[in-house]
Amino acid sequence: MIKLKIKLAFFNLLSKLVFTALFLIFMPYIVERINLRQVDKDLIQKREQVIDLISEVGIEPFIASDSTDTFGSYNILKEEFVSLERFDIEEDWNFIEVTSRLIEDEEIEYRVLNYSFLVDGQKYLLEVGKSLDSILFARKNITRVILLFLIFIIIITLLTDLQYNHFLLRPLDKITGKLKGIANPSLFDKTAVKTNTSDFYHLDHALRELMEHIDELFKKEKEITVNISHELLTPVSVLRSKLENLLLREDIESDMSVKIEESLKTLHRLQSLVNSLLLIARIESHQFLREEIFYISDVLKEIVEEINPIADDKGVLLTEDFHQDMQYKQANRSLIFSMFYNIVNNAVKNTQSGGEVILKSAFQQGNFTVTIADNGRGMTEAQLSTLFSRFRTRIDQNEDGTGIGLAIAKTIADFHKITVSVTSEAEKGTIFSFIFPEIS
Amino acid sequence: MNILIVEDEKNLAREIAAFLKSENFLCDLAYTGMEASEKITVNLYDFVLLDLGLPDYNGIDLINEAREAGSEASFIIITARGEVEDKVKGLNLGADDYLAKPFALIELLSRINAVARRKFKVTSQDIILGEFIMQIQPRKLHCNGREVELTKKEYDLLQYLVLNHDKVLTRHQLYEHIWGNILDDQYDSNFIDVHIKNLRKKLNAHAPTPWLETVRGVGYRASMEQ
Repeated sequence: MIKLKIKLAFFNLLSKLVFTALFLIFMPYIVERINLRQVDKDLIQKREQVIDLISEVGIEPFIASDSTDTFGSYNILKEEFVSLERFDIEEDWNFIEVTSRLIEDEEIEYRVLNYSFLVDGQKYLLEVGKSLDSILFARKNITRVILLFLIFIIIITLLTDLQYNHFLLRPLDKITGKLKGIANPSLFDKTAVKTNTSDFYHLDHALRELMEHIDELFKKEKEITVNISHELLTPVSVLRSKLENLLLREDIESDMSVKIEESLKTLHRLQSLVNSLLLIARIESHQFLREEIFYISDVLKEIVEEINPIADDKGVLLTEDFHQDMQYKQANRSLIFSMFYNIVNNAVKNTQSGGEVILKSAFQQGNFTVTIADNGRGMTEAQLSTLFSRFRTRIDQNEDGTGIGLAIAKTIADFHKITVSVTSEAEKGTIFSFIFPEIS
Repeated sequence: MNILIVEDEKNLAREIAAFLKSENFLCDLAYTGMEASEKITVNLYDFVLLDLGLPDYNGIDLINEAREAGSEASFIIITARGEVEDKVKGLNLGADDYLAKPFALIELLSRINAVARRKFKVTSQDIILGEFIMQIQPRKLHCNGREVELTKKEYDLLQYLVLNHDKVLTRHQLYEHIWGNILDDQYDSNFIDVHIKNLRKKLNAHAPTPWLETVRGVGYRASMEQ
């Protein structure tokens, strides 16, 4: 990824280079054209001077009337010359051309004006020439000067562009900086970014409004869960206290205590259900923080320790197979604990005596992966498809728990961006895989 | 001990009061924050059970008021909101403990007792269970001079039963006390049965445990009235 200001500077540089190249190609030609025109003007002026002179003093001083002489004059540096000769061609000449002349064994390119005129019935040809050397020389010089100047300009403007872009895009940098690493809209820095660029102002403004809106929604959702939990748990609380007080009385019959305990159990089921739904709602509305640092294997070992007595009692072997470990940053330990606990507990529950549940951890294709495999009763395709839904039909009626544990595990995994995949075969066993996101 | 119960749900307040009275506490009730505010400034309480969800008052303010009035009451916060922030906020403001609704009355009692032990620096006496001697601090169990090795969970379980001796504790009450509320899928688990079974096995290797009773269909009881 390339930063915008670099891209802009790069584009500026490129456009300048193209412009310079074009300039360098066409400039000499233009300069030459301008120069030639200037020279031509000059030549015409010189011609007028000569013609004026001839009309003043006559042709005699230049060419004697009876000689076949030609008149020629050039300056020492051979930059210019004027020549006069008799001319025997019928047509009139008046044109300018480029031609080489041999002067004192030196071939020089001249721009020459040819002009024929009539004096006393005799036709004469006047040639006024100017060396092109000076023009070529000027062209070379100008090209060099321009080239140097352009390089200088390019370097200067490139530096100023970079600097200016940096200055100009600073608000954008700030906005992207604010967005980076934001896990929760409530953590978004809501102070306005200082800018007089309307685009950035609108971008920043819209972002802040959006964040505030999301934050507001989260807060509302949080409020609703808080209120619902209060409304639902208070009556449960009243009932529970009443039943517990009854159970503590010494004057009740034992069959009555059993009934009370059964009622309490049902009430616990309700309580547990409400709490599970609230837990899911709280996770989904981001009411849990993800800022603990811990090792996954520590959590898994703790879970094995917790569940081992139950597995032991049931005759299920709980095996640890931790190849690699990962230090987990930005996670909620107790949620991660719950997630794995639910799955391991479920695996033990669904495995018959003599079976085995294996917890494995290793890096697979760069991602840390925890698999929990059992050789228990497994699941059919139909059961798999509804596995993570909140109120799935139970696999069998003897199954205990609200069956919401897997939904909780899935919600926690989603909250941590952990991918869960399940493969299962009826009567063979089930494998849960938790693929952790790559550590950035 | 003197306890003020601040709870807007009258039904619940009365049940808590009935239970605590049977445990020989003196109970006073306040159904609103205003009422509580008055009572706290006028009377001296050892404990205040404070529901944070009062409709007319921010429960946290009550703690501040009490502290400003020079009250040395210990606060135990009750809330049905169950938010982590509430818990942290409450404990930071000088509440002594925190309970989420719905809670077991037994759990409330043991929290009160634990705070009381801390507050009045009661040196816990060793508890005699048949041939066993249970030490609270440091946590140890001896039988005829030999230490009985228990896991942390087994010790917790035994201690909870023993501290609430002669009361039947249901499996769920025991479960909730030891594992807390986060593992919500376990209302019907046999966790407690397994742990009691293991506990019995370990204890019986040293001496018989007739005092650790199973109350059929209800739960378990540590019986110390022999």
